[in-house]
Amino acid sequence: MATIDFNGATVELNEEGFLVDPNIWNEELAKVLAKHEEGLDELTEEHWAVIKFIRSYYEEKQSAPMVRAVCKGSGIRLQQVYDLFPSGPAKGACKLAGLPKPDGCV
Amino acid sequence: MPEIDELENRINALTEADIESGLAFFRSKLKEAEASYLNSCVRCGLCANSCHYYRATPELENVPVRKLGYIVATFKASFTSLGRIAPGLVNAKPFTREIIRCWIDSVFGRCSLCGRCSINCTIGIPLPSLFRAARATLASMDLVPLDLQATVNNSLKYGNNMAIEQEEWIETVEWIEEELQAEVEDQNAKLPLDKIGAKYLFTVNPREAKFFPLSLQASAKVFWAAKENWTMAKDVGWDLTNYGLFNCNDDQAGTIFKNMATAMDRLKCETLVIGECGHGYQSARWMGPEWLKAHFPYPVVSFLEVMDEYLEQDKIKVDKTKNQQIVTLHDPCNLVRHGGIVEPQRRVLRQSVEHFVEMSPYGHENFCCGGGGGQLSMSKYTARRMNAGGVKARQIADTMAKIVATPCHNCVDQLMELNKEYSLKIQIKTVAELVANALVLTSRKDKT
Repeated sequence: MATIDFNGATVELNEEGFLVDPNIWNEELAKVLAKHEEGLDELTEEHWAVIKFIRSYYEEKQSAPMVRAVCKGSGIRLQQVYDLFPSGPAKGACKLAGLPKPDGCV
Repeated sequence: MPEIDELENRINALTEADIESGLAFFRSKLKEAEASYLNSCVRCGLCANSCHYYRATPELENVPVRKLGYIVATFKASFTSLGRIAPGLVNAKPFTREIIRCWIDSVFGRCSLCGRCSINCTIGIPLPSLFRAARATLASMDLVPLDLQATVNNSLKYGNNMAIEQEEWIETVEWIEEELQAEVEDQNAKLPLDKIGAKYLFTVNPREAKFFPLSLQASAKVFWAAKENWTMAKDVGWDLTNYGLFNCNDDQAGTIFKNMATAMDRLKCETLVIGECGHGYQSARWMGPEWLKAHFPYPVVSFLEVMDEYLEQDKIKVDKTKNQQIVTLHDPCNLVRHGGIVEPQRRVLRQSVEHFVEMSPYGHENFCCGGGGGQLSMSKYTARRMNAGGVKARQIADTMAKIVATPCHNCVDQLMELNKEYSLKIQIKTVAELVANALVLTSRKDKT
């Protein structure tokens, strides 16, 4: 299992880089994950629009939203979602929003 | 980790009766030929280099027949006279907790059921069938890695493997329909749902609906260009995946497959079309009738065959100069080696892209991307999967291609990860995405 340092504490990631405990997520941690997992030095307003939508959806429903809902809810167009998160909506955006890995062919 | 602990807890909680019933189940999965194959290896060693796990990490545990060895040892100890009387002599080992752990590690943790070892085996031992029998046995003992089983459970509960609700599916289809209409400037471009009596019932991977709908849009664009009479199911039956092929619980696989079969009956379509997916094709075309013990009165075809036919019959026209970059093709094991669909995708690509290059080796001898057999769903084995995928990464790099086409969403996902891990700097696309991009739409514009 991998770990990352976060403000002097050790945060556990699963074998694919998803948070072991989704409940410890916060915005500062998202920035660290962005750097560590997606190679993103900085998160723009557009990144945050996507991440915050996914996070609030997850907190309400305990699942990852459809990319349709992400586009509608964040106002970001589909192609832009892929451009913003090189690993895609699941392994990129959902991971940075602290969600567990979705099931299926991902 | 909860996953590891839970499986370990279950192993520790096994009673003698559980182990006995597991063994009885294992024996019931072996027909005469398979049982005799368990004693047929001549130790030639050819299987070692045929396996992408072994090539990536040349250690004994990755040699296919070593993985099979744990299963053989159990068989001998439990079901052969010599194995019972003199186990040491024939390397027979009883089905202990320790051996069960070896089974799990070998058949779930070091094998993508790609079958390349089998076609390179001197004797022709059907290793994937034997590994499937072992997985099935573990499934009967409730010893399937939890995240793989969770994907199966989603299908059983929701009718698709990503737990997508019906309204979410419908909303996504309507959205993609709007996007397609904008793209082709035609309000008549549709993604029809529940159209009774359509020629084709088209099925997709939930991954497309949930996260990557551009491939669905591309497929719909091809149908639109061909003026096809097609539809998708509004309720369950639109998902082509079946992770029952990977946990090897045939009852669950059959239950999942019924969703598509029932949709075919309900919508009275002529042909079931499996979208671009390796295991989905293998499941529906070859395993489905076996799981359901039923003959299907309709053909089951891959969308690749449909596109191939459109081009052959001039139902669609493509301009290959629209795809100028070098394109190579990754062959999904379940579609090609196991499924027998080898040439349609090649004929389609040669007409749709300007520079098509093959990997070496390709077709039946192609290497697994590393993500097959349910590997993508089992987080525990991620490091091994990415390491074994290095063989594919090198194959890709050697072609100098900028685009890797692959008719499988599972492979797409693994290739995306390999792209990142091995800095390949490639784009990964489905075949339909390249065809859709190359479509010549003049006839439609004349009409409108």
